[in-house]
Amino acid sequence: MNPIRTVAVGFDGSHDAEQAVHWAARLCATTGAHLKVIHAVGLLEHAGLSTQQPVVPENALNIAYEAGLTPPDVDWSAVDGDPCSALLRVTGPPHHVDLLVVGTRGAGQHAGTVLGSTSLELAEKSTVPVTVIPSGSA
Amino acid sequence: MLIVAGPAGACAHDGGTAHPEQQGRIFAAMDGVRALGLEDDLEYIAAPMAEMEDLARVHTTTYLNELRTFCQQGGGDLDPDTFARVDSWTAARRAAGAGLEAVAALERLGAGIAFVPVRPPGHHAEADRAMGFCLLNNVAVSAAALTARGQRVLIVDWDVHHGNGTQAIFWDDPDVLYVSIHQWPLFPGTGTADEVGGPHAVGLTVNVPLPRGATGDVVRRALEENAQPTIDRFAPDWVLVSCGFDAHRADPLGELALSQGDFADLGQLAKTFAPRPGRLVLFLEGGYDPAALRGSVTSTLGALLGVNVPREAPTSGGPGLEAVRGARVARDRAIDTVGMESLNRGGHW
Repeated sequence: MNPIRTVAVGFDGSHDAEQAVHWAARLCATTGAHLKVIHAVGLLEHAGLSTQQPVVPENALNIAYEAGLTPPDVDWSAVDGDPCSALLRVTGPPHHVDLLVVGTRGAGQHAGTVLGSTSLELAEKSTVPVTVIPSGSA
Repeated sequence: MLIVAGPAGACAHDGGTAHPEQQGRIFAAMDGVRALGLEDDLEYIAAPMAEMEDLARVHTTTYLNELRTFCQQGGGDLDPDTFARVDSWTAARRAAGAGLEAVAALERLGAGIAFVPVRPPGHHAEADRAMGFCLLNNVAVSAAALTARGQRVLIVDWDVHHGNGTQAIFWDDPDVLYVSIHQWPLFPGTGTADEVGGPHAVGLTVNVPLPRGATGDVVRRALEENAQPTIDRFAPDWVLVSCGFDAHRADPLGELALSQGDFADLGQLAKTFAPRPGRLVLFLEGGYDPAALRGSVTSTLGALLGVNVPREAPTSGGPGLEAVRGARVARDRAIDTVGMESLNRGGHW
């Protein structure tokens, strides 16, 4: 098995996403891997029409810093697309990502449904290993 | 003769007035139709629900069953942009069915054009997922029904957003040519010029990504210079337009700078791609400023029907000509890379 050099984590501002960043950052702090925090920008957010809380990069980055990472070890990317498509696009070839980490449920999503579950769809379609952090476990 | 299939979605699939993809869009589009003042030259046809068999040509049965169940259970948010309600399954099937009826009506008449003012829109919906306000891919359902009968279909998509769903569905289909002119970077993040189609359809996807602020002259150049040679060689039997009006300069969801007059020009250009009368269908996709949507519908359909209506002048002088040239280079390089040099020497698919 190849060593883990780069870890990507999806971040949408939800509590589950914060837990995923925390878990991924601790892994990176332990292994020396680089952490990429990825935020997918949808149609409504791009237009300033989203009814969800604005996503602030510092919220994710501060979690990573508290876990022991420093600025060169972690970076932030905002990527156009829905969460699943965007994460698949920036973690698949030709990108060199060794592990994708996501929370169980994104902001505004309904528990108990398969349709619309980013984490389940990523687990099915991703070309890199996916770790789904259960709610309340990080 | 103008065939209006629908409308559909004017009284269903309600995401609330805070959501830009709302029922009022259909009223605005229909106001745009009425402003043409057509009488005997206008025929309304109903939008029946598309059959599962029709939908299953482009969507997986697993997805269709999940979507139906999700709606029956009350619906909810499918992603940060896309919602479904208890009546959305029916609304989406009517939106897809309207396109099928439009095609059938034109076949009966052998003349005219058809407009399909429906919602939810469709071009972001992929085979197995909803996204970008879209549940079922309306234009793809009609295109697939035509190719199933041996027809060759050109889909021209001038919505401000790339039609990732349509592209993915027909990625490797040699009977469908997909052309998209769109703002980039922008949602959904796909649609670069080097996306040219799968191994059985190399060159049959044409993307021209344009920078924000691009004007109508740039979009026309993109269609004429980057797409028309491929369209001429492909020789479609039908032209289906993913007719979004969110590239209008007033639209809140994009930053292109087109006017009503530009959409009139694009409509007339699309008409020249059709092999004969009665082979052009326009499907409403985006368009979220009511006044711009209403005026653009009137302008586009008026130009296609030869009806003189007041309209904003076409626009020019915006950025993007370099992007058009760059897209041509990137596309040619991508086609060469996959070993289909014969395409540029006049080969056939």
